Amino acid sequence: MTTMTIAADAFQPPAASAPVKIEVRNLDFFYGAFRALKNINLSLEQNRVTAFIGPSGCGKSTLLRILNRMYDLYPGQRAEGEVLLDGANILDPGVDVNLLRARVGMVFQKPTPFPMTIYDNIAFGIKLYEKLSKSEIDGRVEAALKGAALWNEVKDKLNASGLSLSGGQQQRLCIARTVAIRPDVILFDEPCSALDPISTAKVEELIDELKAQYTIAIVTHNMQQAARVSDNTAFMYLGDLVEFGETSQMFTTPTQKATQDYITGRFG
Amino acid sequence: MNSIYARRRRRNVIIRVLCYAAAAFGLTWLGLILFTLFWNGLAGLNLSVFTQMTPPPGSKTGGLANAIAGSAIMTFLGVAIGAPIGMLAGTFLAEYGRHERLTTVIRFINDILLSAPSIIIGLFVYVAVVLPMGGFSGLAGALALAVIVIPVVVRTTEDMLLLVPNPLREAASALGMPRSLVIKRVAYRAARAGLITGVLLATARVAGETAPLLFTALNNQFWNIDMTTTVANLPVTINNFVQSPYEYWRQLAWTGALIITLAVLTLNVVARILGRERNTQ
Amino acid sequence: MTEHIVKAYDAELDLIGAKIAEMGGIAEKMLSDAMDALASLDVALAQKVLGSDPRLDGLQREIEDQAVRTIARRQPMAVDLRELVASIHIAGDLERVGDLAKNIAKRAIKVADDARVPRAIVGLKHMAEVAALQLKNVLDAYAERDAERAKQVWSRDAELDALEDAVFRDLLTFMMEDPRNISFCAHLLFCGKNLERVGDHATNIAENVHFMVSGAPLPVNRPKG
Repeated sequence: MTTMTIAADAFQPPAASAPVKIEVRNLDFFYGAFRALKNINLSLEQNRVTAFIGPSGCGKSTLLRILNRMYDLYPGQRAEGEVLLDGANILDPGVDVNLLRARVGMVFQKPTPFPMTIYDNIAFGIKLYEKLSKSEIDGRVEAALKGAALWNEVKDKLNASGLSLSGGQQQRLCIARTVAIRPDVILFDEPCSALDPISTAKVEELIDELKAQYTIAIVTHNMQQAARVSDNTAFMYLGDLVEFGETSQMFTTPTQKATQDYITGRFG
Repeated sequence: MNSIYARRRRRNVIIRVLCYAAAAFGLTWLGLILFTLFWNGLAGLNLSVFTQMTPPPGSKTGGLANAIAGSAIMTFLGVAIGAPIGMLAGTFLAEYGRHERLTTVIRFINDILLSAPSIIIGLFVYVAVVLPMGGFSGLAGALALAVIVIPVVVRTTEDMLLLVPNPLREAASALGMPRSLVIKRVAYRAARAGLITGVLLATARVAGETAPLLFTALNNQFWNIDMTTTVANLPVTINNFVQSPYEYWRQLAWTGALIITLAVLTLNVVARILGRERNTQ
Repeated sequence: MTEHIVKAYDAELDLIGAKIAEMGGIAEKMLSDAMDALASLDVALAQKVLGSDPRLDGLQREIEDQAVRTIARRQPMAVDLRELVASIHIAGDLERVGDLAKNIAKRAIKVADDARVPRAIVGLKHMAEVAALQLKNVLDAYAERDAERAKQVWSRDAELDALEDAVFRDLLTFMMEDPRNISFCAHLLFCGKNLERVGDHATNIAENVHFMVSGAPLPVNRPKG
């Protein structure tokens, strides 16, 4: 039997605790009269990946969409409680949601390239809030595409339509687009559910690299994915945060029976 | 083969035959109309139709130049006025007001307007514009056409924008893009081919309208591109000439009808091609 | 524990559990037969012990294969993951217990012609009883998913260590009394060492059962007598 070579730091436990980037306090969320989230308390640590898992309708996507106030786009939805980003409550009515979203980027379930060239897909977001020369933008576009591990695949066709790329490439383009505007936090809403396993692995590798610079939250239906990419995991069920802790502990020795039943495939 | 399945197959054959028959029935009439149009219209089609003015009664020479120019100008003006209003209204329905009750009301009224007989619109503009201004005018004609264009463009704009997947808007918003930019740079771009198709179809729709022009632009025997007085136009000219006792006028009417039909057909074909490009993107 | 949504998953885990139980039974029987063979110098019985070992090795391999396959196919989490990892360890420990019993049986065959001081075996028999009891208790703890019982086994290992010390001193005395006893008693010394190792394996199994059931590992340092 051959032995696997494992990087020396592969199993090093994360440091006891990192600074808190986002703190959620007593958060409730309503779709009209329906209370979709019930008194959620948790914190996202800086430069860590936090995964949200749970069965459909548990509120994990809802929670993610509060973090960049995506719910503001729709009427009849409201959040109560506090979500502190670097100590400031983003639920305050006075907060400019567009500036907030420039700080808290989001990658969606289905790849959503804009109907424009690959270059413009990325340059567009940069130009929203920064006035840069052409060469500076070129540099940022290249850096973003490299950061998303897409540069080598598209460097010769930057003027091709973003829609001409494969699904996995489109998703990495969307990640590049998000990274290009240099947010603090990146939210991933089931980023791999429409991708094949190889593309999924590439995105996961990317998430691993991105966490050096960003604070990351990811919603996923794939528990193995949560186990692979995250440092902390939150298990949600019917709008409640059932259990929140270190991923390595959650997937080996969860403390709540509901968590155990869900992650071992015993959910009735 | 059991009896239920046999019966189902029999019924399938019957229904299929009926469907083919209905389609053939409809296409036959369309074919006959086009055939008659070409048969009668081609005979009078020559260069003078495009270069000479409409002839006085009894004349054996003359063309449709003033009518063609008048129609083109009024159609262009009507679309130029109606399309932007329609696009903005459609944008409101699809983007800003999507979740509001007002939107349902507007959409309902727009649908009524969409199916309103065009003669009523002509009468409306007659009362609202022609009477106060003290006379028939090309401008009034263009306005009447604009009123017809608006609901068509509202409808297509809204439909096309609703087809733009919502995640695309969310993705744009998630970059911190303000609503207006999301619509202008992302939604319009994604729906571009459909929006153009809608305007072209609206153009085709008004190009052949007669009734609203009868009460507004009326007609003119002479070359006139001054939009404040009566302006010659193809549909009304055809309407007048085809009922006349003069052989040459009736010939010109057929030729004019053929020209309108070909123009509308061209617009439709262009619209279809653009629409197909969108789907294959 | 409620059942998995996928029933085949339960069947796979049940099969592994059944094989561990079978290994436990074989290992216990080998150990007691080996001690009987040593005590009564019964070469035939000792041969029988040697003959049982291949079945034990085979079972261990089957359990490992099955566990690896289940891990690959089901991506087990939490209690299932702990159970599969524990079963691989437990199978290894039981296989080693079988090897130790086999070694005792081999020594029984060797000393059968030249048995010298029968009373030297008394201490060993006592050790074997304690080791067998530890093994039995830990196998029961596994079968019943009883973390508390596993912990008791784990904390009682000191007793066996103390017994080994006593046996060692006794055998040393016999060897000093008469150098002709040395060869015989040296074999018994190894048997004592083997029994003490059986106790260690029972302790290992206890640690695995405890982690498997409760999710909490036992402390690194065991209480010493």
